[in-house]
Amino acid sequence: MIETDINDLSDDADYAAASRQQGPASFNRSDSGRRSSSGETEGAEVVYLKDNVTIHPTQYAADWISGRLKLIKQAGSLFMTWIPYKGQNSNARLTEKDKNLYTIRAVPFSDIKSIRRHNPPIGWQYIIVVLSSGLAFPPLYFYNGGVKEFLATVKQHAFLVRSADDANVFVVNDFQDPLQKTLSSLELPRAVSVANSPSSSVALSESPSSGNQEMTEGGAFNGSAASVRQNGTPRQKHNDPARDLHMQVLEKFSLVTRFARETTSQLFRESQMDGFLASERRRYDQPLVEHQSLVEHPESPDSNGSPKTPVPADPLEFDKMSLVWGKPRQPRLGLEEWSNFLDSEGRVMDANALKKRIFYGGVEHNLRRELWPFLLEYHPYDSTFAEREYLVAIKKLEYETLKKQWQSISHAQARRFTKFRERKGLIDKDVVRTDRSLSFYDGDDNPNVHLLRDILLTYSFYNFDLGYCQGMSDLLSPILFVMKDESESFWCFVSLMERLGPNFSRDQSGMHSQLFALSKLVEILDSPLHNYFQQNECINYFFCFRWILIQFKREFDFDRTMLLWEVLWTRYLSEHLHLYFCVAILKRYRNKIIGEQMDFDTLLKFINELSGQIDLNPTLRDAEALCICAGENGAACIPPGTPPSLPIEDASVYPQLEDDIL
Amino acid sequence: MASRRRMLLKVIILGDSGVGKTSLMNQYVNRKFSNQYKATIGADFLTKEVQFEDRLYTLQIWDTAGQERFQSLGVAFYRGADCCVLVYDVNVMKSFENLNNWREEFLLQASPSDPENFPFIVLGNKVDIDGGNSRVISEKKAKAWCASKGNIPYFETSAKEGFNVEAAFQCIARNALKNEPEEELYLPDTIDVSGGQQQRSTGCEC
Repeated sequence: MIETDINDLSDDADYAAASRQQGPASFNRSDSGRRSSSGETEGAEVVYLKDNVTIHPTQYAADWISGRLKLIKQAGSLFMTWIPYKGQNSNARLTEKDKNLYTIRAVPFSDIKSIRRHNPPIGWQYIIVVLSSGLAFPPLYFYNGGVKEFLATVKQHAFLVRSADDANVFVVNDFQDPLQKTLSSLELPRAVSVANSPSSSVALSESPSSGNQEMTEGGAFNGSAASVRQNGTPRQKHNDPARDLHMQVLEKFSLVTRFARETTSQLFRESQMDGFLASERRRYDQPLVEHQSLVEHPESPDSNGSPKTPVPADPLEFDKMSLVWGKPRQPRLGLEEWSNFLDSEGRVMDANALKKRIFYGGVEHNLRRELWPFLLEYHPYDSTFAEREYLVAIKKLEYETLKKQWQSISHAQARRFTKFRERKGLIDKDVVRTDRSLSFYDGDDNPNVHLLRDILLTYSFYNFDLGYCQGMSDLLSPILFVMKDESESFWCFVSLMERLGPNFSRDQSGMHSQLFALSKLVEILDSPLHNYFQQNECINYFFCFRWILIQFKREFDFDRTMLLWEVLWTRYLSEHLHLYFCVAILKRYRNKIIGEQMDFDTLLKFINELSGQIDLNPTLRDAEALCICAGENGAACIPPGTPPSLPIEDASVYPQLEDDIL
Repeated sequence: MASRRRMLLKVIILGDSGVGKTSLMNQYVNRKFSNQYKATIGADFLTKEVQFEDRLYTLQIWDTAGQERFQSLGVAFYRGADCCVLVYDVNVMKSFENLNNWREEFLLQASPSDPENFPFIVLGNKVDIDGGNSRVISEKKAKAWCASKGNIPYFETSAKEGFNVEAAFQCIARNALKNEPEEELYLPDTIDVSGGQQQRSTGCEC
């Protein structure tokens, strides 16, 4: 079923027509595929279409795959797709599945670096599309001509200039700022995505979430791929969509290794011969380490030396050729779109759709105040306007009562209450050093700083066992900034601490279980890097401590932090996306880490200094791709009860979780 | 010249939250003070080149989170330390009372080979506040405690005003150097093979 979800093109009228000509499709199509993307390609305009554009995965003509190349304009952005025809070459060695691996699904031109045109004296014209990441698609042979027209069309809709070094190279998105360029380029290849098109959905999310009968052991794996399976509700057990998906992912890797890599590397060897773009030559001629350090730190004085240490290849690197990506990020959810999610009484009609929308785009700032309480599960999605208003009022009273508990402590009592004094002292010290560069919190005697203090102190009474711990003020600050209201901020913070409280437990068990899970994820997603950490006494992953403790709060500016948080809070795809996000960052810098033989100290320093340097959206896409890639194996790396999952024994308190997670 | 390993002197700064660990480190290394430091999460370090007797050393100064709850991380960060700086706020009694906890916790987690003689330094920080009128720990009391713990050198500092910070870290560096095992101090290709050690071992007269 997933096969059809991913590859089903029945919604694509052009394709459907083409495939009818070519013969019957070899898959049974399900309704879910159609439903998944219906309505989501609205507003897309095909600005270029060329049939019989072919790739040559092997030297054997029988393996060559023809398809249709299209340029699509949607929401002001230009995308390229290449979809192979179905049903041709019945005696080919490549199966339909194989062919689908080469499908190019709506790559935005913002991800494309350059296009090289080849006009061989004999044979067909072809182009090579090179992505910002340095990856390239296999050559596309234009059997019916049309390269010139293709480039002209691109030029009409995207920024395209001819390279000064090579008249056959056309550079897309040539940023003025080399640093910008650097940041936009990806070290980590896009891993596997289940996306059909930039705005199409993960088809599974649209499936009705009826049966949970398969999911007996799954409480702990909510939100992971395991629950994708759970809620995906396979109609037959042996045709489990998630399993198919992961099978396909694995096959994709191996196939890509087998065919595309060879072909492409061969082509790039050719390319050097006839004077490829200078920067491209660097990319492909030189050892990865040097390339990596060049890309990351163009100004770094030590990047011009030869690599100190050979770097084992990233095992997922071959999917540089696999042509699949985490889905493009979307614009933030705005007021008008948000109002469409609500029924007349204010209930969120489709919580999963809302979470998915926020996962891929975040929320406009002025909407956060309304939406964060949902994401934090302080407000139920199915509550009405009136119910929420009532809840707010009740909770306000409750907050005031809690607050009075410490407000009523007299000076004389405080003198005999060491724990209170110490706690208050810690909080007082921390609130005056929390986000003070923001105007919201700056200046002497800032009332918002007092609110931070009051809320934290009240929380330390509400949850007296946990008390106050450094880092909590970092977590509260954006919430107060968004919610403004004291009581509402408090209750949102309480909800957040339901998830993250174990980060601050006295025995640090919450942190240890997350660091452990992280090490396991790196082990399956990048075993050479894992081995490196092991050999260099970095296996405790303490260098990621700050990332996890306060959800990357110190790694991004305030606005990006809020965006990242709301994405994580959706728990869409996984409750533990933050761990995949850690892996995504580490993988971006793996070659530098290994190449420079960083020891624990150097690595810690390096990671701390990445603060402000991490490119949020591409890293989120990497994290998404890694999460899908890791699938059930990834979910199995994360012990039950690992924050922000609820502790296992309390899982029954939150039965709605089972429906909330995709 | 000397080996890389010997050139590095690792110093750990410990003490209660808010006593000024980050500020002291930044004042010494960058000669800057900011009112906008954030509470340290996890750990971080700064390095500074220092010269002793015509030889350059890299002082690696570790700044750690001050809350007790994070002490279990120490084992990862304290390892291989050459000197431990204990900081308290002269205006906060509790921060002084906790010095012994920090000292014992350090010895437990870093497990140095010779705990009896491991070099500690105590800094009483924030002497600038209110012109010293709000202080609750007298210099005498602090020195008495230091004496009782094996003559730990003691400095009164103001990270904000830069007072005594350089002198304190000079002493810290010297003591860190003293802690380096003897056999590692002199390598075959080192020219100076005598004298230096004795001079160094005199430490600082604090």
